[in-house]
Amino acid sequence: METTTSVEKMDSSFLEEVSKRSGEKLSLCYQCLKCTAGCPTAPYMDIRPNSIIRMIQMGMKREVLESSAIWFCVYCQTCGTRCPNEIHIGVLMDALREMAMEEGVHAKEKNIHLFHEAFIQSVRRGGRAHEVTMLMDYMLRSRDLMKGSLIPGVKLFLKGKFPLLPSFVKGKGEIKRIFEKCTKAK
Amino acid sequence: MDYLYFPGCTLYTKAKNFDQTARDCSLLLGFQLKELPNWTCCGATFPLATDNIMALLPPSRILARAREEGTTLTTLCSVCFNVIKRTNRLIRNDGDKRDTINNFMETNYQGDLRVLHYLEILKQDVGFPRIQEKMKKPLTGLKAAPYYGCMLLRPFEEMEFDDKEKPTLFEGFLEAMGAEAIDFPYKIECCGSFQSVGSPEVATECGYKILGSAVKNGAEVVVSTCPLCTFNIDHKQADIKQKYLDFKPIPVLYFTQLLGIAMGLDYQTLGFGQNFVDPLPLLKGKGFI
Repeated sequence: METTTSVEKMDSSFLEEVSKRSGEKLSLCYQCLKCTAGCPTAPYMDIRPNSIIRMIQMGMKREVLESSAIWFCVYCQTCGTRCPNEIHIGVLMDALREMAMEEGVHAKEKNIHLFHEAFIQSVRRGGRAHEVTMLMDYMLRSRDLMKGSLIPGVKLFLKGKFPLLPSFVKGKGEIKRIFEKCTKAK
Repeated sequence: MDYLYFPGCTLYTKAKNFDQTARDCSLLLGFQLKELPNWTCCGATFPLATDNIMALLPPSRILARAREEGTTLTTLCSVCFNVIKRTNRLIRNDGDKRDTINNFMETNYQGDLRVLHYLEILKQDVGFPRIQEKMKKPLTGLKAAPYYGCMLLRPFEEMEFDDKEKPTLFEGFLEAMGAEAIDFPYKIECCGSFQSVGSPEVATECGYKILGSAVKNGAEVVVSTCPLCTFNIDHKQADIKQKYLDFKPIPVLYFTQLLGIAMGLDYQTLGFGQNFVDPLPLLKGKGFI
């Protein structure tokens, strides 16, 4: 990542846009770093949560939307609970993920994004999430067949935790309708 | 009294022992969990961006259906509890969102259900003194670390569960069963959540910190309220052990399993076979089974 940014690359409407989408008062941040200090996934992020806010203030849209940070946030809300200015960074990250997807930005942590998709598909199929078919779907999407995501699944299967077939609820038509309505409304 | 019960997807799969023990314990405590018919997934995350209606619909469907059946809805999984409780609050307080949701769902739900976590029923409706009376095998001498995780507590102004940094509800419950509640600084830390699938190293490190902190403070067992947390801090212990050589495995139990033992249920019905780290040596050593 470049450490300096030129005026031409700044998107002056970015702060306003993100503030509106997230409903968070991002201008209040004075960089006390409480968010980053308590964040369980910050060590894995390319840009730390406090820097994300600073970069939004500076209009660095591309850098923010392309960061791995927005995909590493698991929304544990530790940051929001401790922020002296009541900025909920988890909320902000969710808005940024949506914006990244809308803008077609290539997700830096593509597996996390693929997992979200596999989860939604699993619910769409049967009304309930079903781990076996969901993980298979995820592994096919991510081509992560060898990297070890199979191992916890096999262990759980041996412990009798996974039923092989998903349980389907009545009213699949209703679920399908809801999905269709939402997709149209978007 | 009966409570409407939303199990949630994992309670039918990898947390069957949580589901079963909660049902069995409730009967002994004098109430019944009435499972919601035809429930669907809660959506697993409360949508945060202001314009995301789609993710609000799964919990809204559950709430609207539950309201047709009764007035109080309970859940066990912390994630489901978080999503359902917050959606209920939103529907109650935000007229615009309420209209949009009802319009989508063709329902007329006003957000007037009481949404409780099972632990809240034990505290508010049953009461810890009554639990104390029901003890057949008090867990005297057991050093148990209550692990809250995130979703029960945060955001605290919406969850209204307990203090944001120093909760004590879980401790009160463990002490009512005769156990010694171990305070440890990581009791409200995140377990790494769904990162255990896409970026397992994140969850491994979170688990190491949480369990290491519990052990360091003298815990013999960690008690959990959430299937996802339990996956990350129980089932990931093999990975943690591989990465951190100083790590010593510690049993992780659902709070209802512990309650089952203390109320004298046959330990073979408590689903310990599904726990990754075998708790039986500890429980036998203490003379509880």
